[in-house]
Amino acid sequence: MPLRVASAALIGASILAAALNLSGDPGSGRLALSLTFGALFGFVLQRSRFCFFCLWRDLIDRRDPRGALGILAALAVGTVGYAVVLGAWLPDPSGVRLPPDAHIGPVGPILALAGAAFGAGMAISGSCIGAHLYRLGEGSPTAPFALVGTALGFVLGFLTWNTLYLASISEAPVIWLPQHLGYAGSLVLTLAVLAALAVPLLRWLPPADAAPSRRVAPLLAVFVERWPTWLGGLAVGALGTLAYLRVGPLGVTAEIGGRARQAAAGLDLLPTRLEGLDGFRGCATAIRDAILTPNGVFIAGLVAASLAAALAAGEFRPALPTRGQAVRGLVGGLLLGWGAMTGLGCSVGTLLSGIMAGAASGWVFGAAMFAGLTATLLAGRRLKLLA
Amino acid sequence: MSFRTLLAARIALAALALPTIGHVAAHAAEQKQAQTSPLVSTEWLEANLSSPKLRIVEVSVEPAVYERGHIPNAQNVLWHTDLVETVSRDIAGPDKFAALIRRLGIDRDTTVILYGDNNNWFAAWGAWVFAQYGLVDNVKLLDGGRKKWEAEKRQLNTRSPDVAASAFPVTPVSTGQRARLADVLAVARKERDETILDIRSPDEFSGKLIAPAGVQELAIRAGHIPGSVNVPWAKAVNPDGTLKSVPELKKLYADVGIDGSKPVITSCRIGERSSHSWFVLSRVLGYPVRNYDGSWTEYGNAVGVPVVNLAGTVWSGK
Repeated sequence: MPLRVASAALIGASILAAALNLSGDPGSGRLALSLTFGALFGFVLQRSRFCFFCLWRDLIDRRDPRGALGILAALAVGTVGYAVVLGAWLPDPSGVRLPPDAHIGPVGPILALAGAAFGAGMAISGSCIGAHLYRLGEGSPTAPFALVGTALGFVLGFLTWNTLYLASISEAPVIWLPQHLGYAGSLVLTLAVLAALAVPLLRWLPPADAAPSRRVAPLLAVFVERWPTWLGGLAVGALGTLAYLRVGPLGVTAEIGGRARQAAAGLDLLPTRLEGLDGFRGCATAIRDAILTPNGVFIAGLVAASLAAALAAGEFRPALPTRGQAVRGLVGGLLLGWGAMTGLGCSVGTLLSGIMAGAASGWVFGAAMFAGLTATLLAGRRLKLLA
Repeated sequence: MSFRTLLAARIALAALALPTIGHVAAHAAEQKQAQTSPLVSTEWLEANLSSPKLRIVEVSVEPAVYERGHIPNAQNVLWHTDLVETVSRDIAGPDKFAALIRRLGIDRDTTVILYGDNNNWFAAWGAWVFAQYGLVDNVKLLDGGRKKWEAEKRQLNTRSPDVAASAFPVTPVSTGQRARLADVLAVARKERDETILDIRSPDEFSGKLIAPAGVQELAIRAGHIPGSVNVPWAKAVNPDGTLKSVPELKKLYADVGIDGSKPVITSCRIGERSSHSWFVLSRVLGYPVRNYDGSWTEYGNAVGVPVVNLAGTVWSGK
């Protein structure tokens, strides 16, 4: 067995042992589950290259819609899964109550601004936060800088929060589609919009006989060959539903944001009160007093499993960062962090988990994110700053 | 079959029957205890989950714990919207309360089992709100609450039960369970001989802290109401979340002069944790007791009232 495969197996076994160990402690069942979900999420992201930036570049540069269809598949599966869970938890969605924990945020111009900034950060740093996390496991030289930039961006977000909250966010409506359309109406509308987005993309697919299928041994298909993005999408939709049922919506920024807030508060950088922030749904950044938090072990599982998956597949390629990578990572990360803080989540927490739950905020963030990404990418290429 | 064999068989049968008789007697005693006691055990509740005259209600502080898994057939009540007025500071008014109780399918003869997280804090507070609308003896707490139920790995599910609505009438609120600012002021000014039981932490009681860490709703002054004694609520609870035995509880409160001979007023910061001690004193020990839900966030902000501030903390104004 090659060394890299043995290391991958060792990491996989360590994740399992850690989850088993956590599940034995009283009251730590949620931590064990979070670690497991995080590991599965990291494995799926790495195997299927589930990356919003990559799919967008494939789409606009190469007219290859397969990645985009994968994201739409994730949204469709998750939307159906969430509807099943939500219908059991909150049989009547028409009241004033929102479903517990679901990422349903305020919809207004600041959300669009946050989405656009996040998209710009993706264009500059080369990934969204979720993808930087799994790329960390692949040894990406940019990812560490992007994640440090993200933490700093969060601090910037906390500093601008009170002004933006009082000027606009406090009056922005929190729109949950099932409240207005019922579960069936919301489900039909969401699936119809996803289908409307998917149909033109399907025409761009290469003809079926252009890529002759070849037989691959099952183990190689799972652990070495790249998964088609639609398969990753189905897995992400299912994982999103299961994680929501047992722990909470998928999200990758709560821990980064919470720790950044804790550190900044410790250095007296933050205002003493962040108005209204902890009352909103989304990737909560409330200061933690525990060493291990569900989102913290989720992230740890994600990165560790991605590392194991990359090792097994021969895709772990660490490299020394160039100065350009460091600068782009930091600057892009700053925008990613500011956008994710102000938008109460990122492409995972606000876009994926929001749309699955029927939140209008997920759609607005998503549209603004792709707009910001496109504009920055095109402008950056014209200025010869971005590839 | 010889006579001797028959006799032996009879003796064996009797021996077999004995534990059954003992078991039946114990079961009857347990049923009787469930009828008269203000507490039910987790065993009892699990055995009676499907009883038609039983309604199980969860009141937890932490949002979403109910949805992720609750005691089968339990219904969810949100303490910060269902049991209070959301604009003015008050418990739910008669119309709002009656609508809630109808939705929960509770009649005056329904046995209601309340439980929740955090050692039944808010479940006890729910019991205090229920009591003000005349739902007293039929409202019980699950001893040990959610914590013990989970620790014993008893069944949970995620479905919301379908319950037929009741016809609970709109009932005026009774004042017997609730103390107001004027009542505690009368005690503070020694115009009335009652004891105020302050269940906050010793540091809040002494005035070293105005409120626990992380709490936004502060008072302008630190300390406690004159005439108060301090027994933190948690002293009434065993490590597994169940309440201590009646003799232990009697001793705990007798040590600070509370023995049921004169009326008690329970108080804390916002009146919720003190409901826990209200439940212990009124329902378990049978003492005369009212809960002061204004608590320190009302008293410590009131102008011109006497205050004991042992720590001498001065409000942080500049």
